[in-house]
Amino acid sequence: MIDNLILGFQTALTPQNLLWCFVGVLAGTVIGLLPGLGSTTGVAVLLPLTLDFEPVTALIMLAGIYYGAQYGGTITSVLLSTPGEASSVVTTLDGYQMARRGRAGAALSIAAIGSFVAAIFSLILLMVLAPPFANFALKFGPVENLSIMILGLATIVSFSGESRIRGLAMASAGLLLATVGMDAATGTARFTFDNVNLLSGVPFVEVMIGLFAVGEVMYQIRVGAAAPIRTRFRELLITRSELRRSIGPIGRGSVLGFLLGCLPGSGSTLASFIAYGVEKRVSRNRSQLGQGAIEGVASPESANNAAANANFVPTLTLGIPGGGTTAVLLGAFTIYGLQPGPLLFQSQPKLVWGLLVSFFIGNVMLLVLNLPMAPIFAQMLRIPYAYLYPIILFTSFVGAYSIDNNMFSVWIVFVAGVAGYFMKLYDLPMAPLVLGLVIGPLFEKALTQTSALGDGDLLIVLSHPIALVVLALAVLLAAGPSLVRLLPRNTPDREREPAGV
Amino acid sequence: MKRNNVLLTAVAAASVLLLTACGTANGQTSAGGDAATFKPKGNVTMVVPFGAGGGSDNSGRSIAAGLEAAVPGLKINTENRDGGSGAVGYSYFLSKTGDPNYLLPSETALLALPLNTKVGFDYTKFTPIMKVGDDFTLAVVPTGSPWKTCADAVNASKAGRVVAGVSGATSLDNVVFTLTEQATGAKFDRVPFESGEELLAALLGNQIQVASLNPGEVVEQLKAGKLRALCAFAEKRYEYPELKDIPTAKEQGVDVAYAQFRGLIAPGGISDGARTFWIDASKKFVESDKAQQYIASNYLQPNALFGDDFTAYLNENNDMLSKALGK
Repeated sequence: MIDNLILGFQTALTPQNLLWCFVGVLAGTVIGLLPGLGSTTGVAVLLPLTLDFEPVTALIMLAGIYYGAQYGGTITSVLLSTPGEASSVVTTLDGYQMARRGRAGAALSIAAIGSFVAAIFSLILLMVLAPPFANFALKFGPVENLSIMILGLATIVSFSGESRIRGLAMASAGLLLATVGMDAATGTARFTFDNVNLLSGVPFVEVMIGLFAVGEVMYQIRVGAAAPIRTRFRELLITRSELRRSIGPIGRGSVLGFLLGCLPGSGSTLASFIAYGVEKRVSRNRSQLGQGAIEGVASPESANNAAANANFVPTLTLGIPGGGTTAVLLGAFTIYGLQPGPLLFQSQPKLVWGLLVSFFIGNVMLLVLNLPMAPIFAQMLRIPYAYLYPIILFTSFVGAYSIDNNMFSVWIVFVAGVAGYFMKLYDLPMAPLVLGLVIGPLFEKALTQTSALGDGDLLIVLSHPIALVVLALAVLLAAGPSLVRLLPRNTPDREREPAGV
Repeated sequence: MKRNNVLLTAVAAASVLLLTACGTANGQTSAGGDAATFKPKGNVTMVVPFGAGGGSDNSGRSIAAGLEAAVPGLKINTENRDGGSGAVGYSYFLSKTGDPNYLLPSETALLALPLNTKVGFDYTKFTPIMKVGDDFTLAVVPTGSPWKTCADAVNASKAGRVVAGVSGATSLDNVVFTLTEQATGAKFDRVPFESGEELLAALLGNQIQVASLNPGEVVEQLKAGKLRALCAFAEKRYEYPELKDIPTAKEQGVDVAYAQFRGLIAPGGISDGARTFWIDASKKFVESDKAQQYIASNYLQPNALFGDDFTAYLNENNDMLSKALGK
């Protein structure tokens, strides 16, 4: 272990690798900042440029883009309610409200701190316990995944704002939208109207940009009230009490994010949603969540970073990607002539440990980069909206086009933007729609597979203990408060239990 | 239309041909032009119909680099147009009919997609240039499985329920299972997954009993002793040292061989000159070290075919596939 660490530091600390690690995390921050340009696209686009590098240097840079984007994605979510990354959608809920109250600096700082703590926590687990976690993750087959998706759906009530029925309606709309596209089991095209662009489904990132960025701009133009935020620089700094309130959420977010990130296929987006849902249940300030509580930023931001790192558990130990971006990274391994697989730790110790140590270094760089920058970024809100809005619209549409070099994406953003405007106007919550759209395809896949495994009988769930435990948690999350109310005495400790998973 | 004027520039030829191609129902229309005079003007675009980092991307970039090395002065940019299991990229490519400055690294989706879904193209709308090699599949099971051969799996499926994982309805591995059922009377219960990686995870976690995956996808798991190969659904055994001990299905009495091809196509309706140019360049590519390296690192069987031979292969493969998919 110590030998491996020394080897890792020797590899990661060469001037060349340090430089490219920095380039990677910086590029990642910028990529995360831009709507549409997510880490998956960013890594894919920059991959060909690294073909002449040493494999370890190239991977250090590409991985830097990946976790750097997790930091960058937060900035626009908080400041402009425009998530730069799918995993930062949840952050808009409280982060943007904080920004409207002049606490943008605090929100950005806690996101950076939470991300950093989560990253270091998950890296230590990744180095020490990757193989056992990978084996545990393999126990999660279709049946267990189905129960996790149900757990994800159970968090919907947490995102519904005032009216639960509106939240459920929006989540259903999201699930319905998710049925568009080619069915994996039979290959049948559903609701595509013979448009090949819809065969892979309603594109999630474009819908997100449209709803949040374009919809918000249109709505603000209508209400016309927003004045640039005027705060003194010192007021943008995070306070001691805000830090104290964030300790619990960061801890819970890190653990949840790591566990969910280990499972192949479920990415950091789901982790951020579930972490927020849990926080909404167990936090001492849960009633404030949704109105600009710092817990609502700390928890999902820690969770998505922990999940991003945990994605490397199956990637490095089994050669199976944990999510979209790690899938592209695995492709990169093959291009550099490395075979990712269960033997990678033995056959390429220098590469693996160099890469892992570079995560430490990269995250320190990101913290140093982001903490002082948080109040400076927050100053962006002093720009009068007359200048800010055209910039948001411009980056939204250009960002959409850049996803697949396809005008179709731009049209989706436009349509989703108009829809988002009316949703705001009629006070329909957007987060449940996004959650439905994210979980829909995963849920359906797990359901089809479970049904196929059970030869049509869904009751095979009963013979999978892990799935049953997760389902029980889902019930607790959805109906927790109602159940607690039925008990003779309302003990807050009882409610805290789900956080311990 | 007669066009034997050798002074026609490539661009003019391309634009006129674009018009002819639009005017005829069949995009295959080939017209005059001299191989010696054709040279791609400006940069050529390699349209990859899948995302960066995948098998198609790898093949596109390798062929592009190899062609650049084989033809001095040639410059190829690679562009990913992902979406709809390849349908978006192929449809975009269809819109380039008549333009010899576009190429696409093709594979079995070219045949499977039109058979299964309503898309605006099928393989006859394009100009087949080269098949680089074949990617067969291996039947693999977790190491703990009692089966030693593919015949064991077939027999087990006759006696009871066998759960096989497949990566989608039109996927190559699903076709292989269907062909096995048709050849032996076996019956496999399919659980659909979305990719080879998901299938690997399901096999390693004992969620499914058997899957059929490309050698490149499983070779590391085989080396690590996590999975065992039962047989190769190939005409002949692999020559790679790590795969040469795997018997073919036929040796075990299961007469099934089906490969995913890896190749290169140009848009339909390009001139004979352009077609000959790309075929000649491809022949140089296949003999180069770059091609050998690509084939070896992806564990392909190097069965190269060019032009008409590749077209004949596509015709045959398409018949087989449409039978297997029940279309």
